[in-house]
Amino acid sequence: MRDQQEKTVPHPRKQPRYDGPLTMEGLERIFSDCVDFTRRPVALEGESACTLTMCFISGMVRMERVSDYVLKPLAEDDGLRRCATVGEAMKRMEEGALYNLSVARRSTLDQAAFDLVAGWCLLFFPGEREALSFFVGTEEKRSVSAPDNETVLKGARDAFVESLRTNTSIVRRHLKAPELRIREQTVGRQSATLVDILYIDGITDPALVDALEEQLRDIDIDGVFATGNIEEYIVPAQRTPFPLVQYTERSDRFCAGLSEGRVGMLIDGIPLGYLTPAVLGNFLQAPQDKSSSWLLATTLTLLRYACMLLTLFLPALYVAMVTFHQEMIPTKLALSIIAAKQDVPFRSGFEVIVLLLAFEILQEAGLRLPQSIGQTVSIIGGLVVGSAAVEAKIVSPAVLIVVAIAGIAGYTMPSQELSGALRIWRFLLALLASAAGLFGAIIATAALVIHLAGLESFGVPYLTPFAVSAGKEAREHVFLRRPLPQIKDRPPALHPLNRRKQR
Amino acid sequence: MKRFIAVLLAAAMLPLSGCAPLSLTGMLPYAREIEDMELVRTLGVDGDGEGVTVTGSGGTQEGENANLVTGQATTISAAVLTMQSQGSSYLYFGHVGQLLLGEELARRGAKDSLDYVLRDVEMRLEMALYLVRDGTAEAAMEAAAQDGSATDRLEALAEDVGLTADTTTRSVKDVLADLEDGGASFAPAISADDTLTAAGYGILKDDALVGWADQEAALGINLILSRVDADMVEVAPAGQASAALRVVGARSVIRPVFEGKTLTGLRVECRVEANLAEGPPAVDDQRRQALCDALAEIERERIQAALDLAVTYNADYLGLCRAAALLAPWHKQALLDGVEMKDLTLTAQVEAVIQRSYHADG
Repeated sequence: MRDQQEKTVPHPRKQPRYDGPLTMEGLERIFSDCVDFTRRPVALEGESACTLTMCFISGMVRMERVSDYVLKPLAEDDGLRRCATVGEAMKRMEEGALYNLSVARRSTLDQAAFDLVAGWCLLFFPGEREALSFFVGTEEKRSVSAPDNETVLKGARDAFVESLRTNTSIVRRHLKAPELRIREQTVGRQSATLVDILYIDGITDPALVDALEEQLRDIDIDGVFATGNIEEYIVPAQRTPFPLVQYTERSDRFCAGLSEGRVGMLIDGIPLGYLTPAVLGNFLQAPQDKSSSWLLATTLTLLRYACMLLTLFLPALYVAMVTFHQEMIPTKLALSIIAAKQDVPFRSGFEVIVLLLAFEILQEAGLRLPQSIGQTVSIIGGLVVGSAAVEAKIVSPAVLIVVAIAGIAGYTMPSQELSGALRIWRFLLALLASAAGLFGAIIATAALVIHLAGLESFGVPYLTPFAVSAGKEAREHVFLRRPLPQIKDRPPALHPLNRRKQR
Repeated sequence: MKRFIAVLLAAAMLPLSGCAPLSLTGMLPYAREIEDMELVRTLGVDGDGEGVTVTGSGGTQEGENANLVTGQATTISAAVLTMQSQGSSYLYFGHVGQLLLGEELARRGAKDSLDYVLRDVEMRLEMALYLVRDGTAEAAMEAAAQDGSATDRLEALAEDVGLTADTTTRSVKDVLADLEDGGASFAPAISADDTLTAAGYGILKDDALVGWADQEAALGINLILSRVDADMVEVAPAGQASAALRVVGARSVIRPVFEGKTLTGLRVECRVEANLAEGPPAVDDQRRQALCDALAEIERERIQAALDLAVTYNADYLGLCRAAALLAPWHKQALLDGVEMKDLTLTAQVEAVIQRSYHADG
């Protein structure tokens, strides 16, 4: 059994991280060579006169709070002076003699060390085995502003910021239901990042909450420095390029997800809110869909589905038809393509693959460069090089048009992750189509469907509701948006405890 | 994932294994770049009993004069192979839209040519079939290629069917199905000169051309098929001024005529709708009725001419019996089993209606 455990967990996380009794020396040992670790003696006057020791980490605490909430009452409070013993003074401080909102008694080195890192200050009392910990952390953060990457035409502009507590407060402001629950976990050996799980009690399926919590509990990594540090651990992301967790900057969208019965996740330091489970249809819904007319929203959603098929299949179909199945092309179009491809030295499949690659390179170059230069690169790459390549008969205009249409259609995807996954599969489809025509394209399509059908996001099949029966009127949640007054139920696939969402 | 990659790599290596019959290379479609092709758009087949001449008309550019390629051999397949060996481009037959059969070949038998279309992997059964009257397909295509192409002429002819009422198009599939079902069929005919104009219909019986349906009979065929969109008919009722009528529609039904339980004939009942295009306005019912009667008589004669050909050649080339069986399915057996057209009395009954006038006075 032990062997088995060693095999599966080669480097188990040490819990607690720091053993031993809570002492000032112990803390100094932990924070040795830390220039920001500060200790300060504080004289306590009165009957129990003694010298207390305060320690904190500079930069993590707000000095005004330390002075006003801790040091000042220590020096001025008459009640403290009348305490007969140090223990009595300590108890009085814990019970409110100091002005802090948050105070805790700490008895272990591990707790104390993590308190200091989190912006608490510790007060050691001579002869006592415990210390008092006061929250005096700085709350420096970016101000709440409109989202950068999700355009808001009509809707709230209070996007998430890096501060976890600010984000939970934003959610609380949108969802004033006391049933909103926020559970917290710490993830990361080094970063010790706080991760909050949000859900509405009485609506969300508790099994979903437990599943997410279990996944988070199992994460044992160095730190949460990027979104993938959490995403890739809570879903089977190594098996697929398709996104299985939905993220948003917009707090209103996040709250709408919670009220549908989904589970939310907020990560300290990451200005995004995550929603689980997420199925394919969720990634084709734009945030403004629910702010638009239902007819417009449905039309645009259908258009996005059409664009998804276009970006995925157009290059492959072009290669298949031009190389293998010329009878599928209308005669006049075939004559146009023949005329356009005269004197072009490369095979159609090669042309398409190379142009798709060039498209990706241009896109990547445009993203990595500063915005002003990036646009120039895109223009030079797209227009100048493209037209020069056509004029030089290196590529045919037909291929250029096909790749451009496929690329532009991909930009209509509301989710960058979905768009990226489609780009990868587009290559695979084009490759197989150039090897075996429609036969290859169909094999690749079948593989894609099998792949998607095998995916689950927290127990909900990824192709819900297309491939899985998800109850009455399930499609309206991901495909067709009916007038909002007519959408009475929450998505059944989420198994909400309360299915009815309106009268 | 590892298993998936392994399978993918194994599949990729399969063509390199040397086991061609077992590998995917034997199953995959054959790649051929479109720019290496020359699309054959019209195919002509002629034959004199000793050999077959196949002529392909095509090109790589829309609107330019057609390139003609000819191959001769004892079979169509061999002739096509001969054509392939001429020039560097691969002749692609997937876009053939018209099949022309020379008169001599058609008289000797059209079945081989039609069968070739049926069996060929590239050609489509939807291609239009034309019979070249008084000439060969090769000559007609060569003449047309002097200025444009046979393809353009025939496409224009097909598009103008509704306007000219000269002829209608028939696909290889239609003709093959007719020959299979009733042993007879018909196909539009074109003149062998460079204009490739419509020249009525050719009547096929037992896979071979037996005769032609000329102008009046051809118009009668269109009426029986209810395919008249626009046809100008000049009528001159007795004692009245002549008028030009534009026939804008016809609807025909074929009814079986029985004496007791014996099928004795077929009656074509046709309702023709026309508008007064030129001439004095039909101000009263008498004038209008006179025009209708005159039109009905002309159209009846046309239909009768087409029906007479069926009797003459003893060929149900219009599928009259099948049409009658649809109308009277309880007589299906009597109508479809062993009916000889020469034994039947085929009559036409036409009702003409003048709907409106283009004249300002109404």
